[in-house]
Amino acid sequence: MNTDTVSKQKTTSISAGEMLLKTARNRAFITGSEAVAEAVRRANVDMAIAYPITPQSESMHLIGDLYAQGHIKDYYRAENEFAVMAAIHGASLGGGRVFTATSGPGTLRAMEMFPVWAGSRQPIVCAFMCRGVALPPSIQPETIEIAFLLDTGMMIFHAENAQDYFDMILAGYAIAEQPEVHIPVGVFADGFFVTHTREVVMLPPDDLRLDAYNCDLAPIPPFDMEHAPIRMVRDPLLNKSNFVSYAASGGWHLEVLAAAERARKHINHYMGGLIEVENPDAKVMIVASGTAVSQSREAIRVMSQQGMTDVGLIKVKSIRPFPEKEIEQATAKASLILVPEFNAGGWLAREVKASIDNNKRVVAGPRVFGGASLPSEVIIGEIKKHQY
Amino acid sequence: MENQNLDIRMAGLGGQGVVTAAHILGTAVVAAGKYAVVNPFFGAEKRLAPTESYVRISTEKIYDRGEVLYPNIIMVFAPQVITQGKSHTMPFYAGLKKNSLVIINSPDPIVPEKDMAKLDALGAKVVHVPATKLAVEFTETDLATNMTMLGALCGLADNLVTLESIMTAVEERFSGKSKVVASGTSAALDEAIKSKFEKTASMIEMNSNAIRKAYEFAKQF
Amino acid sequence: MSKKIITPVKEFEDLLTPDYKELIADGPYNSGPKTIDDLGSFREIIEPHPHCAGCGVSLGIRLGMASLPSPEDTIIIGTPGCSYFALTQSALNYSCTAFGNQNSVASGLKRMLKIRYPEKHKDVLVMVGDGGVADIGLDYTLHSWFRGENIATVMLDNEVYGNTGGQESGMTVEGAILNMAPTGKKFPKIPVFEIAKTSGCVYTAKVTVASPKKLGEAIRRAILIAREVGPTYVQVYSPCPTNLKFPPSQTLAIAKEGEKSYYKYEEYMTDEAKKYLSRINES
Repeated sequence: MNTDTVSKQKTTSISAGEMLLKTARNRAFITGSEAVAEAVRRANVDMAIAYPITPQSESMHLIGDLYAQGHIKDYYRAENEFAVMAAIHGASLGGGRVFTATSGPGTLRAMEMFPVWAGSRQPIVCAFMCRGVALPPSIQPETIEIAFLLDTGMMIFHAENAQDYFDMILAGYAIAEQPEVHIPVGVFADGFFVTHTREVVMLPPDDLRLDAYNCDLAPIPPFDMEHAPIRMVRDPLLNKSNFVSYAASGGWHLEVLAAAERARKHINHYMGGLIEVENPDAKVMIVASGTAVSQSREAIRVMSQQGMTDVGLIKVKSIRPFPEKEIEQATAKASLILVPEFNAGGWLAREVKASIDNNKRVVAGPRVFGGASLPSEVIIGEIKKHQY
Repeated sequence: MENQNLDIRMAGLGGQGVVTAAHILGTAVVAAGKYAVVNPFFGAEKRLAPTESYVRISTEKIYDRGEVLYPNIIMVFAPQVITQGKSHTMPFYAGLKKNSLVIINSPDPIVPEKDMAKLDALGAKVVHVPATKLAVEFTETDLATNMTMLGALCGLADNLVTLESIMTAVEERFSGKSKVVASGTSAALDEAIKSKFEKTASMIEMNSNAIRKAYEFAKQF
Repeated sequence: MSKKIITPVKEFEDLLTPDYKELIADGPYNSGPKTIDDLGSFREIIEPHPHCAGCGVSLGIRLGMASLPSPEDTIIIGTPGCSYFALTQSALNYSCTAFGNQNSVASGLKRMLKIRYPEKHKDVLVMVGDGGVADIGLDYTLHSWFRGENIATVMLDNEVYGNTGGQESGMTVEGAILNMAPTGKKFPKIPVFEIAKTSGCVYTAKVTVASPKKLGEAIRRAILIAREVGPTYVQVYSPCPTNLKFPPSQTLAIAKEGEKSYYKYEEYMTDEAKKYLSRINES
């Protein structure tokens, strides 16, 4: 038991396993943005940095309130997203636990820093509240920014709803901070569909906190001059005239990717798997992530009411590392694989096609973008066109 | 009205409390043990710009997200939604399911004849409620229009939600008992409302009174 | 930090590279504050550094490294460019990631170190080139000053992008013909020094590598004042023989010429900074 000095709230530190898997929960009727703040409230975060962009802003307002109440030790609004992500990198170098969030164009503006986080082996948790970017400009929900981030070296989790968002942020810290993992995680949710939508979320008591981050367990010492200093830049090596630099940089890169591989067992433990499967023996399998999962569930419910019961669902929770084997196995019996998405590019369909045998079974759609919703009728129509 | 799966679309102008009304209704529904999912129209918030919010209510878990395209109930908070087309959905009854309910804030009938014919063909029950007039009468501000609209909904939609649970949700929303995420502007509006009423308690009491009056008014239909 | 932390156990000693062993034996930690008068008696950076002959930047770095008030508690944030080469050879933590992000990284780091070590001064020193400050990182530099971050920023001004092959920078003098300025630069040096004074810096100094004592004193003061008073800025003229095409032996002469004309020594500090400085100088 320790007492927060500013808020005077008595809080109890517990492990992420206890918080996520064992603690009894209470019902709250909240938005996705509020769920993010509730996760951060319980995550024992040292420092958060904010910059406004729709639809992310509300969550970082609430996290500002947490700072004002003494739940976070430092918080400020930086000058743009690149500055935010750079300062978050600096704060994480300092050996504490950090949080930030952004959306669409902010993600793209900050882009250069994400591989730096991964290359620096930092367990940063960043919430991405996906929206359109500039094809043409749009603030509406769209998941295209995930495509841009696939090969940054970060882990990528995609929340279906506010409950997932809450759980995945806390699980994100637990997984990212494993000494054998220790790379950043982006926790994504579809803007508005999750951030601005109010629903019931089950929350552990608000006087519980994750155990503090322990930088002594990190595979790389912090920049605090209390640990052995690192003379070489810890980040991807720049010294082009050094003949060992190719090997060093390449080896380091492989180690970052290997760290994500080592995260799989922790994702299984804290998130109940990289995927979730409904109706595994179905001939038609829908593979989806984010809000597209919810829309697919609705389609499956409507279809089963109409007597079409041979439709199953694979919810992809972890995009990086990607569950190639799990998806291959879960689609083994399917003759039609549908991948509905909220973006024009169809990145999830590409990932699925690259993971399975006989990928002609994959229908890369239906896809909506520019802010359109994806009514279950559209998914059902697509299935009927190809199968029923 | 069949209450297995009910989708409500609320249309009005920015600043009228359309989003807050949806929030309060959702809170009341969840408190009564049912499922509710609530969201606003996804766009920039501006005063007097068209705005919509959506409430999905069910006795089982709700998956569907986003705009309600096929509502069972439409609530029109401002006559301009119909008379000037200040709406994201045109015409305002687009997608309305058969035998549904339309509540319009207006002292007099304002639906054009040819639209009325279409609504009749759908078997829609169309009710005009002077919600703003009632709000001004009982709270001395038109900012409580969303309250009287909720009262009217309670009076017209049987078994949807009790008047008492609406009252409790209103109290929660304004007394700060619940954790509310409000946009900058709606937080400012809350303050504006509070200053109009001086004290939260009297505001909640006045609101409750207005809701009850609208409920009684609607009961006659 | 204690020297113990970097001292290996006996069993591992022979596995370490010679320069690491030298760092432990002769590095700047825990043997009292060093000044440039002590140069030659300790290792301010690991030799040999890969800079060009006559490099003004490397000289600026060596003088800077010999002027740190507490090297055992100093962390350097840099940015890509020539300054990278010698700074990675300093005995201190050094981070160099995306171009121009240095004052943002430093802001986050300094704040986290205040959280973790509220009783100690952890000096965060930004040491970067002119392109990093005046061009690509101007936003982040200025905003860290506006916010009043407790950071010392040092610009090693060689008036050119050296590492990428001699391109015009915002700090290049007007008229200079360089890559990407084939007909000569069309505007004067960006007045970062003047901007610093009006943007929240409580201490600023303009020096050249031809005046080592002034340079050392300016960096020392900048670091000390940044601890408690506010952001500080030192602009160091460090000419580049390779790209500005003068003989490497002439670096100091060129710097001295600058001192007489457009790079005159200047020092500014607020009253509060002055008071702070005299207080710590007394004690």
